[in-house]
Amino acid sequence: MMTTHLKTRDLARCLLAYEAAEDNTSEPSESVTLRVYEKLRQGLCEFAGVAGFQSLASRALVLARTEAPSLIAVRVATDGTLHGLGEFEHQMHVDNNRAGESPAGEGGFILIACLLSMLLIMLGEGATQSLLRAMWPEAALNNYNSANGRSA
Amino acid sequence: MKPQDKVKINKLHTGVPGLDEIVGGGLPEFSFNIIAGAPGSGKTTLAHQFVFANATAERPALYFTVLGESAIKMLRYQQQYSFFDSAKLPDSIRFINLSQVVLEKDLGAVLEQITKEVEKANPAVVVVDSFRTMVRKPDSDMDLQSFIQRLALFLASWQATTFLIGEYAEDELRDNPIFTVADGLFWLRQTAERNSVVRKLQIIKLRGQDSVPGLHTFRITDAGVQAFSRTFGLSAHKRNPPGDRRLSFGVPELDKMLDGGVPEGDSVLVAGSSGTGKSVLATQFIAEGIRQGEPGIVAVFEERPEAYAERATSLGLDLEAPQKDGKLTILYLRPLDLSVDETMHSILDAVQKIGAKRLVIDSLAGFEMALSPGFRADFRESLYRMIYALTGIGVTILSTVEVDESFTEFPFSTYSISFLCDDILRLRYVSIDGQLRKIMVVIKMRGGNHAKDIREYEITSKGVVILGKRMANYQGLISGIPVHTDQPDPKEETPREPRTGKKR
Repeated sequence: MMTTHLKTRDLARCLLAYEAAEDNTSEPSESVTLRVYEKLRQGLCEFAGVAGFQSLASRALVLARTEAPSLIAVRVATDGTLHGLGEFEHQMHVDNNRAGESPAGEGGFILIACLLSMLLIMLGEGATQSLLRAMWPEAALNNYNSANGRSA
Repeated sequence: MKPQDKVKINKLHTGVPGLDEIVGGGLPEFSFNIIAGAPGSGKTTLAHQFVFANATAERPALYFTVLGESAIKMLRYQQQYSFFDSAKLPDSIRFINLSQVVLEKDLGAVLEQITKEVEKANPAVVVVDSFRTMVRKPDSDMDLQSFIQRLALFLASWQATTFLIGEYAEDELRDNPIFTVADGLFWLRQTAERNSVVRKLQIIKLRGQDSVPGLHTFRITDAGVQAFSRTFGLSAHKRNPPGDRRLSFGVPELDKMLDGGVPEGDSVLVAGSSGTGKSVLATQFIAEGIRQGEPGIVAVFEERPEAYAERATSLGLDLEAPQKDGKLTILYLRPLDLSVDETMHSILDAVQKIGAKRLVIDSLAGFEMALSPGFRADFRESLYRMIYALTGIGVTILSTVEVDESFTEFPFSTYSISFLCDDILRLRYVSIDGQLRKIMVVIKMRGGNHAKDIREYEITSKGVVILGKRMANYQGLISGIPVHTDQPDPKEETPREPRTGKKR
């Protein structure tokens, strides 16, 4: 069962694609999902407070687990930071290579989509877009389904 | 000091309809203000309106939220108001949550955080919501007075207009340093009056300019807070002395009784019991005005505009076409928790929209019933303010009032408001020759030499029609039970001196 609307998934995909495209270093980097999550955390903590963000993120994680049960090992700390997603994505990557199942990072993607979905439910599209624009000023968030989310 | 040497304080649009007039033209720029009141009194909404009206990308607004309402829920609810523009987030309006620093650190750290954000954003507007929750920390290193003093100085130096929002009780007004430091103090109240809720706003303090004193009604609608000044928004208007014109009722004999008609800018009271034709006369007055090119407003409280217009049609008076042509507005005002100020706002809007010269209030009893119980106690005072304000801009007002028919007295109104009216026309029933007939008499006319005749009239398909001469063959007409006398037919009395213009 999909816990988020397709449009919200497009928005999540757009943010992940944007961050992935930003990652042009050859060095091993932290998870793209974690980077998106971290930007959301910083932006939303400023706006809603740490406790406010932590509540939202915890709820988003619970929702995401219904679709990606393997997120069970992931935790939202009291300061809103995410723990266990890197390990989870690494394990998923190994498993996928072995079994050819769902793509690596799918759980993280679902978590981001759930978090965005909660924002959209609480604040509506206009205010959510405005907040996201502050976090990703260069991204073309009005065109969710663009290839990499970059503005023209 | 010469006027040109004085510093000019810019006045900022408050974004709250009616509030600019109350604060004396706008909120002083760079002022440090408190919005105080009980939960649910509209403090946050008022601050948001100011923020949305003034924030720009170049000079944004910083909205600091502290413990209390969740910022997410606040934004969720506030965006329901029509003034909310999400496109202004976050470039023009930034919400910053200070809960963590308030919870974990002291007031010094809070000040440091605010300072950092202000220096970064160079805001034109700063709001701290709710300030009260911030200063409740008992173990703070910095004392409250010092914190407020430094905050006020800092924000003034950064040329920010500031609002601190707090839930305060009125007995906290004394001995609280925050109220001493503040340039402006806005107090919002809401009280339950029987089954109605009445919201009132008071500017307790506003440095640097004249605000309108007293309690002003306000309402919170989909558009946010809307304030209704006690002076009905007319304090900025010059009183417009009416001319010498006489306004016709469209009833020639009545005009004669009034020495040519109602003096322009007067307040006329038509008093009588049920069925004596008060509304008919009022309709004729407004229709005659329209016929003479004077737009009019009818404020009705007891029947719907359609019914009012239909009744006029039955008298051969067309009120439909003038409504379509913008020459007439029939206002139906009947919510049960109206304030006079809100009613006035509706009437004034209509007056200004069509340039009305005549206003009918039909009736004062209906008007009073439409008011919230809490406002009924002030009805006379409110009527005084309303009549003063409207006649001051040259509108001639005709109000109808129902009086209990009595055969022992001759009351003019149940409201003791005759002193508010320039002219009083009394209609009543009399028992004559086994019939219940109607008489009218001009009781008072402040600016003219009116006829003293008591005249019989009928309500016909053409409206009120005055019959014959004055009723000289009866004594005790005003008692309602006259006695017939054998006197010769009188000549109609006319004013003894020609009218020389209006005296005030």
